[in-house]
Amino acid sequence: MTPQLSWYLALSAILFTIGVAGVIIKRNVIAIFMCIELMLNAVNLTFVAFSSFFQDVTGQLFVFIVMTVAAAEAAVGLGIILAIFRNRETLDVDDASILKL
Amino acid sequence: MLVLLFILFAALAIGCALAVVAQRNPLYSAISLIGVFISLACLYVMLAAPFIAAVQVIVYAGAIMVLVVFVIMLLNVEQEEHRRSRMKFLVPAAVVLAAILTAEATFIIYFVEKSPVKPTSSVSDIGLTSSIGGSLFTSYLLPFEITSILLLMAIVGAMTLARRLKETSSGVAVVPGTTVLPLHLLDPTAPLDEPLAVEAYGTDEVAKLLDITDEHDPSKRD
Repeated sequence: MTPQLSWYLALSAILFTIGVAGVIIKRNVIAIFMCIELMLNAVNLTFVAFSSFFQDVTGQLFVFIVMTVAAAEAAVGLGIILAIFRNRETLDVDDASILKL
Repeated sequence: MLVLLFILFAALAIGCALAVVAQRNPLYSAISLIGVFISLACLYVMLAAPFIAAVQVIVYAGAIMVLVVFVIMLLNVEQEEHRRSRMKFLVPAAVVLAAILTAEATFIIYFVEKSPVKPTSSVSDIGLTSSIGGSLFTSYLLPFEITSILLLMAIVGAMTLARRLKETSSGVAVVPGTTVLPLHLLDPTAPLDEPLAVEAYGTDEVAKLLDITDEHDPSKRD
C-alpha cells in the first residue's frame, strides 16, 4: 500500500486550515505573515501531489512560480512591517487598523 | 514503508504547524515553521519531485525564513500578545471556519478515493531538474519572464518601503517633503559635531530661518 492522492490532499487541507486559523487568531503581524506562508506551502503540496499523480510537470512549475511570489511577498511584507513598527512602535495588527502608516 | 514515512512526515508537519499558531513568541513560531518546510520537502521527495524539494529547503527554509528571523530580531519586541475583549468573537469564528475546512478535507478524502486516478508505478522523469527546466524555458517562458519583472518590482518596493532617511552629509538627514537644515547653519555658536537638525517645510520657511531675502524673485522686483 502506497500513500494515496487523497492523503496528500487531506494533509494539505489540514495545513491550510491551521494557516487560516492562525491568521484569524494571531495578533502579531509577523506571526500572521508566517501563517500566510504556511497556507502557501499547503497549496504547494497540492500542486506537487497532483503533478506527481497525473505525471504532468505543469504543477511543479506552478510551485516554482508560487515560491517566487512568496519570496517577493516576504520582501515587500517585511518592508511594510518595518514601516508600521517605525511609525507605531507596535506589531499588533489591531493598532494598525486604519490604512495610514 | 512509504506509508510509514508519509505518516511520520505528515505528523511532523501538522505538529509544527500547530506549534506555529500556538506559540506566543514569534521566534519560536519561525523555528516551528522551518520544521513544517523541512517535512514538506521530505514529502516532495516522496512524491518524486527532488528539484522542488531542494528549492523548498533553499528558498523557503533558507532565504525567506532568514529574512523573517532577521526582522524578528531587528524589531526585538518582547511584548506578549494580549487578548482584547472586543475581539473575542474572532476565536469562535476561527473555530467554525476550521471546522468547515476540516469538513471539506473529509469530503475531499471520500471524493477523491472514488476517482479513477491511480498512482502510476512507472519510473518518471517529471520531477527532475532537466524536465522542469525544459518546460520552464519553452512552453512557460512568458510566466517565467513575468516572474522576473515581479521580483524587480518587489526589490524596488521593498527598498522604497524600508527606506527611512537619506543621508546627505554627516548629521544632516533629509526627509522627503521637508527641508532639514543643520543647526550650526542657523546658530554658529552651536557645536559642529552634534547631529542636530532643524526641519522646515517649504522654501519660504527656509528663507525665513536663514534670514535671507530672495533678490531674484520676480514678483518682488519692480
